[in-house]
Amino acid sequence: MTKLLSVNNLSVHFSSGRGIVKAVDQISYDLNAGETLGIVGESGCGKSVSALSLLRLIPNPPGQIVSGEILFEGRDLLKASKEEICDIRGNKIAMIFQEPMTSLNPVLTIGHQVREPLLVHKRMGKKQAAAEAIKALKKVHIPDSDRRFAEYPHQFSGGMRQRTMVAMGLTCAPKIIIADEPTTALDVTIQAQLLRLMKQLTTETGAALILITHNLGIIARYADRVNVMYAGRIVEKASAADLYKSPKHPYTIGLMASVPKLDQDVKTRLHPIEGQPPDLADMPQGCAFHPRCRYRVEKCCVKSPQLRIVSHDHEIACWIDV
Amino acid sequence: MNKKNTELSISTGKPNVRRKSLVFDVLSHKMALVGVLIIVSLLCMAVFAPFLAPHNPNDQDLYRVLEGPTWEHLLGTDDVGRDLLSRVIFGARISLIIGIISTFISALLGSMLGLIAGYKGGMADMVIMRITDTFMCLPVMVMLLVIVTVLGPGVENIIIAISVLTWTTFARIMRGQVLSVRESPYIEAAHADGASELRIMFKNILPNAISPIIVAVSIMLGRHIMLESIATFLGLGVQPPTPTWGKALRVGYSYLEIVPLYSIAPGLMITLAVLGFNFLGDGLRDALDPRLRGEGDKLPEAAL
Amino acid sequence: MKRYFARRLLYALLILFLVSILIFSIARLLPGDPIQAAATQNLDLANEEILNDLRSQFGLDQPLHIQYVVWMKDFFNGDWGTSFGSGEPVFEMFVRRLPVTLELFSGYVFWSFLIGFPLGVISAFKRNTILDATITSTAIVGISVPVIWEAIVLIYLFSVHYRIFPPSGYVPFFENPMENILCMIMPTFVLGTHTAGMYMRYVRSSLLEVLGQDYIRTARAKGLTEMAVILRHAAKPAMIPVVTVIGIDWGYVISGSFLVEYMFALPGFGRMGIDAIAARDYPVIQATLLIVALFILMVNLAVDLLYGYLDPRVRVK
Repeated sequence: MTKLLSVNNLSVHFSSGRGIVKAVDQISYDLNAGETLGIVGESGCGKSVSALSLLRLIPNPPGQIVSGEILFEGRDLLKASKEEICDIRGNKIAMIFQEPMTSLNPVLTIGHQVREPLLVHKRMGKKQAAAEAIKALKKVHIPDSDRRFAEYPHQFSGGMRQRTMVAMGLTCAPKIIIADEPTTALDVTIQAQLLRLMKQLTTETGAALILITHNLGIIARYADRVNVMYAGRIVEKASAADLYKSPKHPYTIGLMASVPKLDQDVKTRLHPIEGQPPDLADMPQGCAFHPRCRYRVEKCCVKSPQLRIVSHDHEIACWIDV
Repeated sequence: MNKKNTELSISTGKPNVRRKSLVFDVLSHKMALVGVLIIVSLLCMAVFAPFLAPHNPNDQDLYRVLEGPTWEHLLGTDDVGRDLLSRVIFGARISLIIGIISTFISALLGSMLGLIAGYKGGMADMVIMRITDTFMCLPVMVMLLVIVTVLGPGVENIIIAISVLTWTTFARIMRGQVLSVRESPYIEAAHADGASELRIMFKNILPNAISPIIVAVSIMLGRHIMLESIATFLGLGVQPPTPTWGKALRVGYSYLEIVPLYSIAPGLMITLAVLGFNFLGDGLRDALDPRLRGEGDKLPEAAL
Repeated sequence: MKRYFARRLLYALLILFLVSILIFSIARLLPGDPIQAAATQNLDLANEEILNDLRSQFGLDQPLHIQYVVWMKDFFNGDWGTSFGSGEPVFEMFVRRLPVTLELFSGYVFWSFLIGFPLGVISAFKRNTILDATITSTAIVGISVPVIWEAIVLIYLFSVHYRIFPPSGYVPFFENPMENILCMIMPTFVLGTHTAGMYMRYVRSSLLEVLGQDYIRTARAKGLTEMAVILRHAAKPAMIPVVTVIGIDWGYVISGSFLVEYMFALPGFGRMGIDAIAARDYPVIQATLLIVALFILMVNLAVDLLYGYLDPRVRVK
C-alpha cells in the first residue's frame, strides 16, 4: 500500500483569553491510497482542527499551526505557497463540512457552486462544467438534476444539501476526501444513505477517505483503520476490526463499554466514562486521560505517554497494558 | 461549571448578561470610555453651570457688544454683550434636558408599541406597522419643522415634536427583537407554567430584547440634541432669552465674519454631545453583542 | 420575482395613500389662515365678501375630505396648486428648482460612495489595527458633526478666512461650469461626509460578518483564491445589509440636503420647502412633502427590488 499522506508531529495552537489552547498536540499518522481512515473522539478533541489543518484552513488569528509537516505527494503542504495550496484544495484534496445548512452560499445557485471547482481547476468552459455538474448531481442521487441545477440552497432539504456537498467534493476526482462529521446534522435514515453513497463513490474512484465522527457505529461499518483522539492527541491507532475486537487504550475501552447494544438486556445499566474531558487551556499534568482512568498508576500522573506498538498495526499511547 | 449557569439562566428567562461585567466590558472599550468621559463632562457642565460660568448668562453689557476673546470674556461676547462662555455653559442645560426627556418619551412610547406589535401580532401589529411605515416616508427634520410650526415655539413643544417623530425607530427595533425572542423555548416554558401574557411580556421577553434598545437610546440622545439645535437654528423652537446651543448657532451665524466663535463654540458643543453618545452607543453595541465577545472573532484571512 | 415586485408596489401605494392623508391633515393644522394673512398685506382685500370669494376660489370652503380628493386628483394631473406667496404654479417652481437639487445629489453620491465604500473595505481587512480604529473613529465623527455646524465651519474657513469658495449662491452649470463646480464643492462635501461615515461602517461590519460564514470556508476549501472568494462569494451577500441601510437612511439624506441648500443658499427644491414652511405656504408645503414621500417610497421600492435580486431567499416571503 502506498503512503498517500503522512502527517508528522502536527501541532495547532489557539490563543484564547485564557491562554494557549493546544487543540492538536503532536499528532502523527499516515493515510494509504484508497483506504478509509476514521478519526473518532468526542467534541473538542481536535479531530476537526486536525482535518482543517491539512488544507491550511485554520483561521489565523486566533489559530496557528506551530509545528509539524504534512507530506502529500512528496511535498510538505505546510511549506507550500499560496498558489500551490489553492491548487490542491478542491482538486487533489477535497473537504466536506458538517453543516449543510450554512456551508453553501445562499445567494448562488446549487449548480454554480457544484461546477465551480471545475471552472477553477480544470479550466472548463461554463457550459461544459454545467453538464459535468449535472452528472455529478445525478451520481449523488439528486432527482431532476437538470432542473435542480438552477435552484438555490434554501430550496433543498438538509440531506440533499449534504449530497450536493459530496458532489461538489468529487467533481475534480480528488485523491483524498475529508468528511468532517458529514452526517451529524442529518436524520438517522439519511445518514446511512449518505455514508453508503460516499463509500461507494470513493471505492469507485479509488480515493482515500478521512471520516471524522464521534459515532462509533459509523467507524465500525465504514472505516478500514481508525485513529482515536483525546484532548488533542491520538491515543490509539488500529484497524477497525482490531479496535472493536480488542480495544487497548482505557479511553477506547470506556467508549466501547458505554455504547448501548441492541442485544443487551433492557435493564442493564449504561456505563459512561466518569468525569469530564479536560479544559484544553488547563491540562492536567501527565496523561490527559488519567483523571478519568480507572487503570491509572503513579507514572500516569507525571509523564505523558507516547504512542507505542502493542501488536501488528495497533498502537496506543498508554503506560500500562490493560 | 459555566455551562450550567447559562442553562439555568435560559430557563428562568433572565437576560444572559451579567450586569457587573457589562459595565466592565463597556469601559474597557476605549472608544466608549471616551464617550462616557465626554458625556459626564457635559452633564457636569449642565448641573454645575452656576458654579462654572464666570458671568450670569443673561447679563447684558451694551458697551461690549460682539467682542472677540478677552481675559474677562474667554469666548467673547454676543450681540447684546452677554458673555458667550456662560451662554454656552448654561446652554448645556436646556439642550441636554430637551434631548434626554424627548429620548425618554420616544423610547418608552416606541418600545411599548413595538412590544405590543411584536407579541400580539395580528391586527395590532398591522396597524402599528403601517403607522411606522407611514412616518418613515417623511424625513424627520422636515416634519419636525412642520410640526413645530403647527404647535408653536417653546421647550415643551419641541420635546413633543421630536418624540412624536422618532418613536418609530424604537418600535421597529423592539418589534424585531420580540419576534425573534418570542419563539424561544423559555417563552414556551413560561406559557406552560401558566404565566399571564402581561407577565411574560415584561418579565421574560423585555429583558432579553432590551440590548439593541439600549444602544439605540444612546445614539438617539445625540440625535435629539442635534434635532433641537437644527429646529432652533431655523427659527422655530426655543424662544429668547433661553440660551440653547441651537439659538447661539443661529444668531452667531449672522455674525460669522466678525465673531466666528459665536457660532463655532456652541456648534462644537453639539458635536461633542452627539459624538459622546455615538461613541458610547458603539461601545454598548460591542459589549452587548454576544457574538463579538471573547476570542471567537471570525476573520477575513483564514489561509495560512 | 415579478410577483415580489408587484407585492412591494401595492404596499408602497398603500403607504403613499396613508402618507398623503397625513400630509393633508398636518397642512390643515398649520396655524393662521393664509387668506387672512395675504389679506392683511394687501389692504383693499379687507372686505369679508372678497375674502370669502377668494376662499371658494381656492376651494377652502369645501368640506375637508372633498378638499383632499380634489387635491390628489389635481396632483396626479400635474396641477400642484399655486403658491400663496408668489402666485406661481407650484409645478413650475418644482421644475425650475429640480436641476439644482439633482446636481447636489449627484455630488453627494460621488463623495459618500467614494469615501464610504473603499474605507469600509479597507477597515474590514485591517481589522483591529490602528488604521481600522482611526477610520472608524473618523467615521463616527463624520456622522456626529451636525450638517449645519459643518457648513458653518467650512464656510468660515474657505469663504471668509481663505476666500477660495463662494459662501453661497449658485451658478448653473451651463452658464459657467467652473463657477458651478466651485459653488457645489462645499455643499456636496458636507452632505457626503455626513453619510459616508455611515456607509463605511455598514460596509465594514457587513463584510466582516459575511467573511466569517461557513460558506466562505467552503469556497476557500474549493481552492478559490482570496480575491475570487471575495468577489464571487462575499460581495453579493455583503451588499444586502448595506443596500437595506441606504434605503432606510434615505430620509436622513433628504433632510440633510434641505439643510445644505438652506445654508448655502442654493435655489433648490429643499430651500423652497423650508421657505414655504416658514411662510405657511400650504400648497407648496403639501406638494413638497408629497414629492419627498414619493421619492422616499421609490427609493425604498428600488432597494427592495435590488434586495430581491441579491438574496433569492427573500423572493418567496
